[in-house]
Amino acid sequence: MWKVFTDPFRIPRPPAVAAEEPGDTPQRTPAAGKRRRAKDWKGTLARIWNYLSHRRAKLFLVLFMVLLTSALTLLGPYLVGVAIDDFLEQNAGRQWIWFLAGLAVVYLLNSLTSWLQNVWMIEIAQETVYRMRSDLFSHLHRLPIPFFGKRQQGELMSRVTNDIENVSSTLNSSAIQIFSSVLTLIGTLGVMLWLSPLLTLLTFVVVPLMALGMRWITRRTGPLFRERQRNLGELNGYIEETLSGEKIIKAFAQEQRVVGEFGERNDKIRFSGFWAQTISGFIPKLMNGLNNLSFALIAGAGGLLAIRGAITVGVIVIFVEYARQFTRPLNDLANQWNTLLSAIAGAERVFEIMDEDVEESDEQQAVEVKQIRGEVEFCDVSFGYDAGEGRSTLQHISFRAEPGEMIALVGPTGAGKTTLIQLISRFYDADEGIITVDGQDIKQLRRASLREHMAFVLQDSFLFEGTIMDNIRYGRLEATDQEVEQAAVMANADSFICRLPDGYQHHLGRDGGGISQGQRQLLTIARAMLADPAILVLDEATSSIDTVTEIRIQEGLQRLMEGRTSFVIAHRLNTIRSADQILVLRDGQIMEKGSHEQLLEQGGFYSDLFHSQLKVSS
Amino acid sequence: MSLMFAFLKKYRVAAVLALLMMFIELALELLQPFLISKIIDDGVSQKDASTVLLWGGILVGGTVIAFIAGIFSSFYASYASQGLGYDLREALYKRVQSFSYALFSRFSSSSLITRLTNDVTILQDMLFMGLRFMLRMPLLVVGSSVMALIVNVKLGLLLVVGIPVLLLFVIAVMKRAAARFQLVQRRLDKVNNVMQENLTGMRLIRVFVRKHHERKRFEQHSGELMTDTVAALRLTETTMPFILFIMNASIIAVLWFGHRDIMSGSASVGEVVAIINYSMRTMGALSAFSMIVASFSRARASAERMEEVMNASEEELSSRMSASSSPDASTAVSHNNHKDAASGQDISVSQHNGAAATGRQDRIITENKEAAAPGPALHTNDYPVPEQQRGIVFSQVSFKYPGVETPILTDISFTARSGRMTAIMGATGSGKSSLIQLILRLYEANSGHIYLQEQDIQAMSDEQLRGMIGYVPQEIVLFSGTIRDNIAWGSEHASMEEIEAAARMAQIHETIAKLPNGYDTLLGQRGVNLSGGQKQRLSIARALVRRPQILLLDDSTSALDVRTESMLLESISSLSCTTILITQKISSTIRADRVLLLGDGQLIAQGNHEQLLQESELYRQIYASQFGEEEPGRVESIH
Repeated sequence: MWKVFTDPFRIPRPPAVAAEEPGDTPQRTPAAGKRRRAKDWKGTLARIWNYLSHRRAKLFLVLFMVLLTSALTLLGPYLVGVAIDDFLEQNAGRQWIWFLAGLAVVYLLNSLTSWLQNVWMIEIAQETVYRMRSDLFSHLHRLPIPFFGKRQQGELMSRVTNDIENVSSTLNSSAIQIFSSVLTLIGTLGVMLWLSPLLTLLTFVVVPLMALGMRWITRRTGPLFRERQRNLGELNGYIEETLSGEKIIKAFAQEQRVVGEFGERNDKIRFSGFWAQTISGFIPKLMNGLNNLSFALIAGAGGLLAIRGAITVGVIVIFVEYARQFTRPLNDLANQWNTLLSAIAGAERVFEIMDEDVEESDEQQAVEVKQIRGEVEFCDVSFGYDAGEGRSTLQHISFRAEPGEMIALVGPTGAGKTTLIQLISRFYDADEGIITVDGQDIKQLRRASLREHMAFVLQDSFLFEGTIMDNIRYGRLEATDQEVEQAAVMANADSFICRLPDGYQHHLGRDGGGISQGQRQLLTIARAMLADPAILVLDEATSSIDTVTEIRIQEGLQRLMEGRTSFVIAHRLNTIRSADQILVLRDGQIMEKGSHEQLLEQGGFYSDLFHSQLKVSS
Repeated sequence: MSLMFAFLKKYRVAAVLALLMMFIELALELLQPFLISKIIDDGVSQKDASTVLLWGGILVGGTVIAFIAGIFSSFYASYASQGLGYDLREALYKRVQSFSYALFSRFSSSSLITRLTNDVTILQDMLFMGLRFMLRMPLLVVGSSVMALIVNVKLGLLLVVGIPVLLLFVIAVMKRAAARFQLVQRRLDKVNNVMQENLTGMRLIRVFVRKHHERKRFEQHSGELMTDTVAALRLTETTMPFILFIMNASIIAVLWFGHRDIMSGSASVGEVVAIINYSMRTMGALSAFSMIVASFSRARASAERMEEVMNASEEELSSRMSASSSPDASTAVSHNNHKDAASGQDISVSQHNGAAATGRQDRIITENKEAAAPGPALHTNDYPVPEQQRGIVFSQVSFKYPGVETPILTDISFTARSGRMTAIMGATGSGKSSLIQLILRLYEANSGHIYLQEQDIQAMSDEQLRGMIGYVPQEIVLFSGTIRDNIAWGSEHASMEEIEAAARMAQIHETIAKLPNGYDTLLGQRGVNLSGGQKQRLSIARALVRRPQILLLDDSTSALDVRTESMLLESISSLSCTTILITQKISSTIRADRVLLLGDGQLIAQGNHEQLLQESELYRQIYASQFGEEEPGRVESIH
């Protein structure tokens, strides 16, 4: 029975130091220094300010309104005090009416300015958040590809959504509160000192108590909010991952299990969230309590003073109100502290991503390429994914592709074929050796301008949510509908598209929407065909397509590859028989090199592979 | 909002306690102006210092008690709101996991994620605020009004009169704002969706240099989100100035009438002061109103979105399905039919038991379907299920995706013999993967029956059915974690030996052993540091570790070279589990017990490799596409 009352107190205490430890995810060392910088509050606030200052003019307008509102807010009670002292107990006639009319004007203005300040601030806040979101988005597009391999997608998502949302809601309301609180605080203090220094001093008795209390609380809540946002990120990551793998979960009947694992992560948030909220919830209570205390002190002491005739009853009334007004901004500040803390924790996580090193920006000396003939050369190129671990995926690769040649990459899985083409696209940069395009080191070329001359069909046939038309057009945004359809015909996708109820306007959902894997590949091929590149890269472009269709596409591809340098990765060897060069890769090295006939004559690995495919049986 | 209250039940003690504590705190605070008027009227006016001290002491004591109550209320409020958030997330996630795959596909995953995190947080924060501030506000207003009336009825009425006007105004704003916040959350879904797409498709976007295109797209949605958020908040922000205006007007009225009453002697200065104090307090409380209106409207919108998930029903989906399907497709089969079909086993009974035992909604659909089936459906041509035929049997199965007109599979009947390998071949989009998904009951067949080891899969629970099956999907899904975790995912309690054995069979053991950390190597998001073929084999190992009776391989060897594939198939056939293998390669079909040739959702031909070479033109075409025009005779067979 008593359990329900004591339950909240049973929640395990938060680990006091754990939250201070940096790093939830493995980080490269150079970023670590920056991370710490992002964790520093002043820095974070300064950066938020940076964003806000885009609308400096409007912000000053808001500040001005806040100033006005604060002044009017102060003026109101003062006038009421005057009314009590000067008018209530005597008949003042017309003067009294004028006075009340003046009061009405003050109040009206107060309503107006407070409305304006809020509406303007919301506009600024939302614009700021919009800008942050866009910046984060752009920044993500500048981050090196390996970055995405190491991060959980949902965790990243959480930063764009939950963390930015946190900043947003804080800016909406808290920013104004903080401005006006500070202003009111100063104003009130002035008036109070002017009215009665003694009572002011009494009001101040509680200030050291406030300071102490705040220090105790903020020391604990800062790390807790950080912890909570991190836990939220983890949970988001887990949800994202399991929802995208839902088919597997269902097929393996693992619902119970993921629900359990989800629960563990959910638990974590509950704990960090509980303590963050509880402890930061003390702030307003503390303020309120101290506020009431000073209220009592003023009333008592003021009463005694009034008996001695040192002050008037009106002064007590004003003072009580001012004491309230004096602590109210503090109170507001304290109330906002909650959201402010969690916003800072959110902003930190957003800035953390923005501080990630971008794809090594050689942009300064890098050159734009206008035209590419398509000559590609690898000179003694070596590369490993984990530079530290010494396991090279590619070792001493050298070959040369003349413009217009078709280069086929063959070899067992894991031999480094996909890695090799990722070097051409500069997702990764070679550790050793040089890759040149038209004789120029590709590190000297701007990534974007290099990629603009290439078209890729990647292994994972990714399609966007949208119509089929839009998805193919992604290869060349300015292509006409007719061109899109031509590309689809070339890729043999036209026939199935036409059978869809809406044809080219058929809407693809997130998981492909009733389109098979093979059909998705057809669409990605069409997309690449539309692009009209100098260099074409096909990474197992037809792996899910049946061989009869494949042969039909082959004709289109042959035509497409004419005059273009192309790199083709394929397992079905008869699709690459016509290649000018076949590179046989194994364990990251080129074992054999030559045309189909040459390699067959050599009687090496390739010829074995080719015959084994023909033979079928083992 | 009813959702929130339903979930709050569990925490009602904490919630009530939080409110109670807050109430105590508030009551003590409300007494203050009253005590002050005592100090002024009884103490200061009478020049009685001891009365001043007495009332002052009471004030201080009350303050301390209020503070302690406040601290406790923070504990209870936070406990209730965090608990609510926890339960909501848990319930939503469980609900999503209990969806049938078809229903699941109706929601976009980014929207589900937002609902599970952002929407829950909004509701949770609202509750926390509510327990601590929001209810305090109306209580303060009511309390102040009552106290003002006690102090002086006539002057107090001036304060009270404005309040109904305020309430009406606030309610009107809240209603409109809730609709706008619904829109805001939907916009947020869109923004998140673009974000998610960009993260998933990052490589593609990079190689096509579409950064600016994507940025434009993102900024468009993000811009809409901004505009709608501003619009919603602007609406809620009108409340505060309005409240200020009304309350200030009543202060002026109190001053005006107070002055007159003091002149006529029917009111004291202390009373007027107290009432003004009360109206200022009311105003202070009400000034937080716009924030409350905003967060309440927002919470309401979020709660509705969660309810959408909680209430999404399989029936609705199936009714949508049948609404869009032509009548002839709903050739549902009645109970009797089951009896005939299932070699003496009374399936209809076990089906009912199943329904009773699991009580799951998809069972109910089955029954609905049967109930809806007209009598004549009885006489549909029964596909005779061969006696003692274990393995997988399809009997006149037809299927189309929910909400899509064109059928994916029509009238498919075949038997995959137990312990043997059946290969499925066919053109892209001919329905191969859909067929496999029907066996798993990721989707339900529209008509016809599927039997697994002589049991209708409709009569099995999902756990029972899927527990028998090892499935390797076409699109590889790996989870972040170690390689060992990923393989063990297939069977939670697999020992290291079992994991290794599965990896060996999947021909991936050697590759793993060569990694510096072996089985403990961490896989990044979607297993990026492995090659496509390696991921495929890992995914096969995950299926094999379950020691499945039935193995479904959906084109899972496409990235494997012939040798590896051949070794893999060798080890699979040594397992003698019933295997269905979708493949494009003749090198695989040649090993199969039977090959099914699909075209446009129909079973065009079936037989073994030799038979099909003889009989099927399409099969010969496929053959030719892989081996050139050479004579079929050159191919050696293992048989």
